[in-house]
Amino acid sequence: MAKTELNTKQKTEIDDRSSLKGTLASVFFLGIFIIVTWVSVYYLFVDRF
Amino acid sequence: MVTSTAAKVKVDPRDAKLSMAHFFVAFSALALGGLMGLLQTLVRSGKWELPWGIDYYQILTVHGVLMGLVLTTFFIMGFQYAAVSRTTGGHSNAARRTGWIGFWVMLVGTLMAATMVLLKEASVLYTFYAPLKAHWIFYLGLTFVIVGSWIDGAAQIMTYARWRRNNPGKPSPLLSFMAVINTVMWIIATLGVAATVLFQLLPWSLGLVPTVNVLVSRTLFWYFGHPLVYFWLLPAYMCWYAIIPKIIGGKIFSDSLARLSFILFLLFSIPVGFHHQLTEPGIDPAWKFFQVILTFMVVIPSLMTAFSLFATFERYGRSKGARGLFGWFKVLPWGDARFIVPFIGMAAFIPAGAGGIINASNQMDQVVHNTIWITGHFHLTAATSVVLTFFGISYWLVPHLTGRKLTKAMNKLAIIQGWVWFIGMAFMSGAMHFQGLLGGPRRSAFSTYGGSEQAAEWIPYQIAQAVGGTILFLGIILVLIIFVNLAFFAPKGEEEFPVAEAENLEEKAPMVFENWKLWLGIAAALILFAYTIPFIDIIQNAPPGSKGFQTWSKW
Ligand code: HEM
Ligand SMILES: [Cu+2]
Repeated sequence: MAKTELNTKQKTEIDDRSSLKGTLASVFFLGIFIIVTWVSVYYLFVDRF
Repeated sequence: MVTSTAAKVKVDPRDAKLSMAHFFVAFSALALGGLMGLLQTLVRSGKWELPWGIDYYQILTVHGVLMGLVLTTFFIMGFQYAAVSRTTGGHSNAARRTGWIGFWVMLVGTLMAATMVLLKEASVLYTFYAPLKAHWIFYLGLTFVIVGSWIDGAAQIMTYARWRRNNPGKPSPLLSFMAVINTVMWIIATLGVAATVLFQLLPWSLGLVPTVNVLVSRTLFWYFGHPLVYFWLLPAYMCWYAIIPKIIGGKIFSDSLARLSFILFLLFSIPVGFHHQLTEPGIDPAWKFFQVILTFMVVIPSLMTAFSLFATFERYGRSKGARGLFGWFKVLPWGDARFIVPFIGMAAFIPAGAGGIINASNQMDQVVHNTIWITGHFHLTAATSVVLTFFGISYWLVPHLTGRKLTKAMNKLAIIQGWVWFIGMAFMSGAMHFQGLLGGPRRSAFSTYGGSEQAAEWIPYQIAQAVGGTILFLGIILVLIIFVNLAFFAPKGEEEFPVAEAENLEEKAPMVFENWKLWLGIAAALILFAYTIPFIDIIQNAPPGSKGFQTWSKW
């Protein structure tokens, strides 16, 4: 009995409907994009001046 | 889809007429200004020259004035007037009369300025920087446009104030609140440009005074010039925050967050004009530094907006059963022009905002200042994020106001329009950004600069800009076809004016947001702190004034 229970592949269902993890990923992407463009132009500045 | 009672709420037909009057001027400006834009890119490609003695800097002035000042101001005033009418229950007769007076004063001023530009008496570009000197009628026309916009804006404020009186203790409707924030910001900002036009440029162009203090006039201009770009942007944010959620069938993520971000824009948009004058001698670097810090504060409400929009989309998608990290993205209504056209605008704001942070960083500004990178930047912000949102708004607002319907065919054409704009702008703005990083100047007709090797590197980018400009002009023709259809020919019917609700209706917005004494007080304190000492310094240590210059060819 106990053994079968252990074997079930059931994961605990977290409520997917209220999750904002996509939003979190999106704003991280946005932040990284801003930093990468900023740093690339910064290097252009360092190279030239 | 259109079932709720809210869908039946219409803008009062008398208010609709005034909004439409604004839109006719705005879209006429788009037609003519768009043609000038196309011609500019063709001239700059080096493959074509302007006929009949028309001069590059004349058409560049027409383009900048029509697109940057006329299209935007008229569209914004028309849209905000309708949004206030829709969410407060309509304007009073007095407010409506005020609105019409404002409209006509603006229009007369526009025609005065336009006439002088066409006569080659005012090829001073849309920033009319001294010591370039235009005919006095040009400056008087600008004064009319500014004063007219104040009267026009007063109509919105009157109706907002009436709503507040009739609904004590209640937060005002979100769209009206936002419209009034933008109008108030505009009035505070235009005080600066009104001051330089009235007290410096007008007397000088009339010959009453021989010289002008150039740095004072530029400083007053940029006191206005930066909030100007937020005046363009905030109506787009009104649509993104408070209208798009309804169009997709979702809810506003947080009404209070939206109000807070608008207040932050009001506070941080004005005391920052020095970031346009970083390379200008004569301003103490310490004050430039201070204003740059305030500039970076604008990042906060901008990222709040980005977060809130992502969250609205994700919530909606998940309520439709979307799964995974980005499943919600797929279920957005990609076949609805009212959504996708502004959405392309939102997406464009990602590179646009990143570019803006580069521009405002003192050292990096040395790389891009006065290069065509800047032009590439604001064709993403103003000429994509803002105008695509405006087009997306007019695709439902114009039929709403004229009692017609956006048909399936027009919806499809509008989606094509959005993508055509995207492709054209990717070419034009992309090439402008790269050419700018290679040092290519802005505000320049075609030139090989005496056979310079560096200038030769720029030419392929200028050809790419002509390709992009041609595609963009096609996009403008599509907008105009759709606009004329929706204004005159589309089938009669009811088109909804979408107004979204907040997700959490119990959570009332804190009344402190409507405390104008508080916010105007903080705004004034920030402005006085950021400007008083450097401004006194600029006046006290001024070099001799400059006489006027007319660098362009005359008829
Ligand atoms: C067909 C679409 C468009 C094309 C092909 C186009 C093209 C151009 C080009 C080539 C320039 C720069 C020329 C130079 O610096 O020498 C320019 C400047 C400008 N454009 Fe556009 N543009 C278009 C649409 C727009 C729109 C929709 C707006 C505003 C909402 C806009 C606002 C401006 C402004 C304010 C300037 C600056 C003028 C100046 O530097 O004095 N443009 N445009
Ligand atoms: Cu600025």
